[in-house]
Amino acid sequence: MKVYDGQGETESEIKSEQIKVGIAEYDVTKNGAVLTTSGLGSCIGVALYDDTAPVSGLVHVMLPSADDMEDGNSAKFADTGVETLIEELEATGGDRENMVAKIAGGSDMLDFSESGSGIGQRNVEQVKETLEAYDIPIVGEDVGGNHGRSIKLKSSTGDLVVKSANKESTVL
Amino acid sequence: MPEVLIADDSEFMRNLLREILEEDHQIVGEVENGVEAVETYKEERPDLVMMDIVMPIRDGIEATDEIKSQDPDANVIMCTSVGQEEKMKEAVKAGADGYITKPFQKPSVMEAIEDVVPS
Amino acid sequence: MKVDIQSLETFNQLAREGAEQATTSMTQMTGIEADVEVTKLSLVDRQDVGEELGDREFVGVQFDYEGELAGETVLVFSRDCRTSLIEALVGGADSKAMARSGVKEIGNIMMSGFIDGWADYLGASIDHSPPSYIEGNGAAVLPDAPAGGDTNHVFVFKSRIEWVDESIEFYIYMLPEYEPLTTVMADHADTGDDAIPVDKLEVFNEMTRSGTEKAAENVTMMTGIETVAEVSQISFAPITDVPKQISNETYVGTVIEFTGVPSGYLMVLFDEVSAKNVAEAMMPVDMGDDELTDQHKSAIEELGNIMTSGFVDGWANVLQTSVDHTPPRLVHDMGQAIIDPLAAQVGRHQEHAFIIDSTMRTDDIEFEAEIHALPNEQELRQALDDLLVERAGKTDADPEQIFQE
Repeated sequence: MKVYDGQGETESEIKSEQIKVGIAEYDVTKNGAVLTTSGLGSCIGVALYDDTAPVSGLVHVMLPSADDMEDGNSAKFADTGVETLIEELEATGGDRENMVAKIAGGSDMLDFSESGSGIGQRNVEQVKETLEAYDIPIVGEDVGGNHGRSIKLKSSTGDLVVKSANKESTVL
Repeated sequence: MPEVLIADDSEFMRNLLREILEEDHQIVGEVENGVEAVETYKEERPDLVMMDIVMPIRDGIEATDEIKSQDPDANVIMCTSVGQEEKMKEAVKAGADGYITKPFQKPSVMEAIEDVVPS
Repeated sequence: MKVDIQSLETFNQLAREGAEQATTSMTQMTGIEADVEVTKLSLVDRQDVGEELGDREFVGVQFDYEGELAGETVLVFSRDCRTSLIEALVGGADSKAMARSGVKEIGNIMMSGFIDGWADYLGASIDHSPPSYIEGNGAAVLPDAPAGGDTNHVFVFKSRIEWVDESIEFYIYMLPEYEPLTTVMADHADTGDDAIPVDKLEVFNEMTRSGTEKAAENVTMMTGIETVAEVSQISFAPITDVPKQISNETYVGTVIEFTGVPSGYLMVLFDEVSAKNVAEAMMPVDMGDDELTDQHKSAIEELGNIMTSGFVDGWANVLQTSVDHTPPRLVHDMGQAIIDPLAAQVGRHQEHAFIIDSTMRTDDIEFEAEIHALPNEQELRQALDDLLVERAGKTDADPEQIFQE
């Protein structure tokens, strides 16, 4: 019989732990877990890590800006989502001075807008703007285009594995 | 043989119509949108246009309206998946002579053509 | 009776919190990490409840509850899932009785967490019976949906919970009796301008069913494959849960944007095997190719177009309006990535969304198609306001009649 403390030993501890990050969610880790998020269309996955701590985090944002929306979920938006992730990483022992970013997603697939500046592209612009404001360099990116992506952040190495439908995975 | 212009953005549908029609008709053009349909009509003056409704750039109802205003004797059969009453009324108003809904079988296409352009 | 968007949001949130509470309990007992993937509130025809369970074997527990709300709640695990759970709980079940008892106990603890949140919110007590063990295949594992008044529809709260590492899942269903639920929702409604008439939502769902039937007929005509409409439902979920309505497998299909009342997006999606099968049935020659070729895709594009019309024309004819749509965009990508840009578009103006889902199947070959529509809330509400219930059956228009006039 196991002890019901939620910390019981499980099979999953043998491999590195996987943490699924849903849409408009974020998670951070300092024990080398693999953070995953799937089905990025116009959404963007922003991976941040500080290997001096080491801490890593991943956020899955959906819309460019929290402005004009009465929505309490900061992780839903590119601007507040990135800010929240930076703050969470600092609360877990990271330092924004040492953080680097890798981003993937922001496809313009199924953009019906006639102006030609779809949500995917605006998400990319907003993520870049917010990262720049915090002076965090983007060291790898796979954005735009016309296809979806699923990503895995291996926090032990900082590798971001990007998988697209009908294509080989690439590592950023 | 009567001359026919096919206007449909779907390659699959153009092929299907061509197969049905080419035995008894001369296909003078296959186009993918309403603008091309109007232009090709002006050049070729075919006896009949098979016109889809939902097409990029310009839809089939607008193209029909334009063709009919330039040539009231033109024969246009709408050939579309749209089965909305309001759209059918708009097609009538634009001057369409017939309306076939997809998916169709060869006999219903031949029948509609016979009604509009008797052989 | 009218319910407003706010109360739909609140009730959906209660179901989500309940499911999260239940999942936390399970994790504490077994050490197995799981996530609540989706929680949605669906309005479905009674006969369609549980259709998404397919034909798989399930075990689980069932409770009756009564009080402010009355009805049934069910927690079901797939069979493989049961084995892992029991192993984690008692280190391998050596007898069937032990396995059952384990399922009952996990179920009991999980479901208490689920129900308690509702009672707290409603400020009333909800009594529930002891759990009873259930097993069965697919929808048959669920109790009959509660009958109520003169409607064929029931509201169902559904949560799908997934293991983090594996593709094992379990489901929580809450099947409240219609009258008490709508009464409670109406009581908690703040009947402002965003109120939705529940009876019209049902009519809309019936229109969706006949649209699906029409789309299935079109598939039969174009392919010679006898195809039947399986299920249609209207669901309500947070916008961030919308992409999870579709699996992340690769799909082939078409997407259009429709404008008018209502406006929004509509997807017709096939899994790759179905896409290939159905495209080949439309083509005169055997392709003998394992890959999806451009010819397959062109056939799918046209089929998607015709299915789309079959689906939306009924809305236009009943509402006596026209619904315009863009030419179909062909997509071949991960399911969630296809719907995510559409959810984002709709999500610029609303936090929750209605999703209209239909599926169709055939027994002849491996073939399944899904239709999902994502209307803008404001226009859907407008459409419901304009909807004349007595026109519900008038989904078909006859061109011959119109052209003779």
